[in-house]
Amino acid sequence: MSLEKRPVTRFELLMDAGTGAQKAGDILLGAFVGMGQYVYVEPMIPAEISPPARSRPALSGVIIRLADFDITNIGNDTDLILAAHEIVLDRRLDDNEFNPDAKILLDMGDQEANPDSYEMVLKRCTKLGISVIPFDVDPESQTIVKELGGRGQNLHYLGMLSYIYNMDEEIVQSQIIKTFGKKLKEDIMAKNLTLYHNGYRLAKEKVFFRVDVKTHKREGEQILIDGNTSMSMGLIDAGIKLFSGYPITPASSIMHTLAKNFPAYGGVVHQAEDEIAAIGCAVGSYYAGMPAVTATSGPGLSLKQEFIGFATVAEIPLILIDVQRAGPSTGMPTKTEQSDLLAALCGSHGDYTKIIISVSNVIDCFYAPHLARYLTEKLRVPVFILSDFQTANSYKVVAKFPLAQMHNVDDIPDFVFDRFHMKRLTGPIQMVRTQQTSPGTEGGMRRITGLNTDENGKVNYFADNHQRSHMVRNEKIHHVRRALTVPEMFGKDMNEILIVGWGATRGAIEEAISLCEKNGVPASGMHFRVVYPLPLMLKDIFAKYKKVMTVEGTYGDTLKPSSLALLLRSETLKDIHPLIAEATGRPVRPRIIMQKIQEVLK
Amino acid sequence: MTADTASKPAPVPITIKELNTENPRWCAGCGDFGIIMGLKRFIVDRQLAPSQTVNVSGIGCSGRAPNYFNTYGVHSIHGRPIPIALGVALARPDLNLFVHAGDGDALSIGGNHLIHGINKNFKCVFLLYDNEMYALTKNQTSPTTRRDHPTNTQPQGTYLNPLNPITMALGLGASFVASTADWMPDHLTNTMKTAFDHPGFAFVHISQRCPHYDPNNFDHKNSNWFSFLKHPNGIDPDRRLADKSEIVEHDPSNLAQAFQYGAAEHKYFGLFFQNKSKLRYDDILHNLVGKAVKKDPSKILDSFLV
Repeated sequence: MSLEKRPVTRFELLMDAGTGAQKAGDILLGAFVGMGQYVYVEPMIPAEISPPARSRPALSGVIIRLADFDITNIGNDTDLILAAHEIVLDRRLDDNEFNPDAKILLDMGDQEANPDSYEMVLKRCTKLGISVIPFDVDPESQTIVKELGGRGQNLHYLGMLSYIYNMDEEIVQSQIIKTFGKKLKEDIMAKNLTLYHNGYRLAKEKVFFRVDVKTHKREGEQILIDGNTSMSMGLIDAGIKLFSGYPITPASSIMHTLAKNFPAYGGVVHQAEDEIAAIGCAVGSYYAGMPAVTATSGPGLSLKQEFIGFATVAEIPLILIDVQRAGPSTGMPTKTEQSDLLAALCGSHGDYTKIIISVSNVIDCFYAPHLARYLTEKLRVPVFILSDFQTANSYKVVAKFPLAQMHNVDDIPDFVFDRFHMKRLTGPIQMVRTQQTSPGTEGGMRRITGLNTDENGKVNYFADNHQRSHMVRNEKIHHVRRALTVPEMFGKDMNEILIVGWGATRGAIEEAISLCEKNGVPASGMHFRVVYPLPLMLKDIFAKYKKVMTVEGTYGDTLKPSSLALLLRSETLKDIHPLIAEATGRPVRPRIIMQKIQEVLK
Repeated sequence: MTADTASKPAPVPITIKELNTENPRWCAGCGDFGIIMGLKRFIVDRQLAPSQTVNVSGIGCSGRAPNYFNTYGVHSIHGRPIPIALGVALARPDLNLFVHAGDGDALSIGGNHLIHGINKNFKCVFLLYDNEMYALTKNQTSPTTRRDHPTNTQPQGTYLNPLNPITMALGLGASFVASTADWMPDHLTNTMKTAFDHPGFAFVHISQRCPHYDPNNFDHKNSNWFSFLKHPNGIDPDRRLADKSEIVEHDPSNLAQAFQYGAAEHKYFGLFFQNKSKLRYDDILHNLVGKAVKKDPSKILDSFLV
């Protein structure tokens, strides 16, 4: 038996939907954190609730990246896959995310009934050059799983993984009890624990390797949180008092979290009859002086567009969270993408003004609402927060965030501006209408409308006046332009190539540049958290690099620049193409970024 | 927050003049003049503070109404005044809330919101300006246009029978359904009063003349084609028209009878139905917040500690 020491590794548990792969992942995560390793977890969630077992759409699982250093993304390739049967394995192999020397633990339990299918997949593995370690769940465990009505298999696999990743058997056991403790009856719990220990023993007897990732003792309080939950708690801390939404994957969990937590902090959760009503209610609430937010994903963003333009013209603050998924149309609801940038930028009709903030990790998710609230109340223009499936659902352990407990927008701490690479707004900000009172204010009666108005709020169709309204609205955005500082940069400030991304790709870019530096590849990186407007010094920065290319989770090719490339070209007149513009539904990988850079620099 | 909707009296008595803003941009003889005058009379009668009053509308001729009240107002987008009004009601339950929507607004593009506004039963007065056509977009068939009436989109004559807003509202479980008309000022103002005092979503259907595109639709000079519904718990018949039209006793708690009057060929004005004890969504949400055990906002992340 070999104990292999690794600074970083990645493994996956693949099962049928509804059989507890993600629950097993949660337990592992808790245990790893308890032991002091750094973990980044990405669940793989099918778009359907219960697709037929042993079918390709049923693939449900968890990818866990484990390291002895702080990691910012799900990484490159998988070193080990534990698959419940050959179908989920076959499906996942299609994604081509495994290392050439990856190992596969394949449960052979279904082989007898499906010999041909097993043979085919095993042949595929041989062809790909990856080694398969077949195993059978021991007879006692099989009986228990039958008694539990097919449940508990995940605990058995959990046991195997605990052994392989050199985990303390007792720490994992206490994590299982902590996770299920109150929900399971004593005898059921005992059975689950037996399954766990049997799995651990099975791996000890049958698997001839173990992987060890160094542990660290971390200072200060640590929290374990995913992107959507972090954003929900950030909304509370930013002083938002009304959430208005309509169920849509992958934004719904924000509504779930707030439905549970918001009332205790004085907040209202409204589940609207449709996406349009959801944004309408947020607009009504903010108009009446109560900070409000709506959250959605691509299809909902399309439906909300008319209201976004209305909020712009009526000068009503508006915060809209878009947790992007693969589009267009219904697309792939549980796969990640960054393809809504242009819909946010240009989706509503007419020349409406907007600000677009993006998030790249759980910390950004927490503070984006603070900045969004500050900007929308100061400028009275819509502010988008663009998240995505990957950022929303990935878990990470981080030092507990300092809270802002914002009552009004001037309470916003400086470190929030620093995080988003901008300064506090200064100077007077002109509005289209001089008066901006909320209902209930004595003597401040006024009407707002989507029609063009003069500075007194009177409907006005005259040429000069309409031009003035546009100037005033755009000047609000210019205030932000001028407040933006140099975006986050990785690597040298002069180089052969600069790769640029926004939102979710940050971690992959950061890691890719550090890989490049280790390998002597002359590349630097840049990342935007505020994606629109863009800072004024971009052209000067870009001038220091021979090539500027983007890394984006959306489609682009040599004839069609992807969204960010398009935007950067128009802002800087530089011939910017995508280095990676992939709409695969999978996160961008650091190693692939480096490979592509090497190809380009050849 | 409490769901106290009692209106604060204005500090100085307000008059119609103070409620006016500019000359409405409606055609001469438009029924909308009568409707906003009816509401202004009610605001003056009740001395509702303009600063505590919000009018919310959609798009169309009726959508302009809030611009002509010196109160707070939102002239929003087509079909969507109800979601905005709900946002206002959730944020500021103390304000007086009036929603103005045309037949296209309420029954066509915004139909979904009407269904759910009625079901959520949040506190507001909902005024349906029904001129039985699209007017501002220049004479198209609407959900309530009578069959065979020619329009620009169905020039051979409107193809289908109109929707019936009264039975529709009753069928959706509305807690308050009343009907009035722009040319009966006394009845209109009394309807506003009863609707305003209703604890929930008060659905008020208003027959509205459009002299420009359909001058012969409502025969406002004759009163033999309609009847008033009357009851101690209802709305008094219009003073000026009472002796010229039939008056029918109708108990507004009688839903089955309300359906019969609502579905009849003959037209009825008055209070069809009222149920003061229907669940209110706005109250429920406010109570959730009001009764929640408050948590310390300095500890919001503590449950995520590892």
